[in-house]
Amino acid sequence: MTAAGSAFERYRTRNSEEWLMRIGSEDAPAILFVPPLFEEMNRTRALLASIMRRLAGCGFGCWLPDLVGTGESLAPLSAASLEDWRHDVKAASIHITEKSGYSPVVASLRGGSLLDASASAIGWWRMSPADGFSLARDMKRARLAGVEWAGYEPSEALKADLEAAKPMAVAPLRTVQLQSNAGQADARLPGPALWRRSEPGNSEELAEATAADLSSWARSCAG
Amino acid sequence: MTAAMDDGQEVENTLRAVLADVLGLDPDRVAGFDESTPLFGALPEFDSMAVAGLLTELEERLGILIEDHEVDADMLETFGALLTFARAKALR
Repeated sequence: MTAAGSAFERYRTRNSEEWLMRIGSEDAPAILFVPPLFEEMNRTRALLASIMRRLAGCGFGCWLPDLVGTGESLAPLSAASLEDWRHDVKAASIHITEKSGYSPVVASLRGGSLLDASASAIGWWRMSPADGFSLARDMKRARLAGVEWAGYEPSEALKADLEAAKPMAVAPLRTVQLQSNAGQADARLPGPALWRRSEPGNSEELAEATAADLSSWARSCAG
Repeated sequence: MTAAMDDGQEVENTLRAVLADVLGLDPDRVAGFDESTPLFGALPEFDSMAVAGLLTELEERLGILIEDHEVDADMLETFGALLTFARAKALR
């Protein structure tokens, strides 16, 4: 095990270079996080960072890419397609393998599960995976609060592709849900659905349970 | 999306969990809600954005679809009214 660190790196994707946040050692067994989409991405950022810090403390290198058109990306969201995002995840997985010497385990939250199958990885882990149909429905319903898509301006093609998207079959896969959700799952974790809160928040309980579950799954994938 | 439920108690448990999650309320407080507990207009956390989140989360967890024309102030007014609506949608 090597000492933990953190850094912002650039990774090369289809038409641009984008940022990749790393928490933990560069040369440690790697976990690639694929974030939720749109507003859910903001609402879970603090949770993701908490999970990554805990896993870094357990000897993992944790990596979180900015998808093109999101986060610090210079490209406008309107220029991004669902295929671009899948390409970003694949490009990030290749970057991580080259840097760390380990093929990563991919950890996807919510809509990230729609993008993760393209990764070059030794295993997959999904938290509360969501159909694109439901995500698009939620964004359209934001009109109840004033503006459709909560002010985001994805292309019509991205909206259409999202509505049709479902998490794809990958193996080996572990799926977790919150304890309060009766959906199909290999395990249920305690804590709130932070992606649903109108104010971004965090949960030590959920971060701790997630890190523990993901850590043991990543070790079993590395078998 | 999960299949529609066949158990009224499960629908009620799901509704309480979703209210706690979406509104950021203490689950113990939500456990104390009864049929007459006022919601929309009474809880500062229950704003229009939270209504949108509540409807989507109920759809995902109960395996139902809720159309805009089904949503009105009466159905959101009390815990009892919302539970009656959720049961009618989920149990069929």
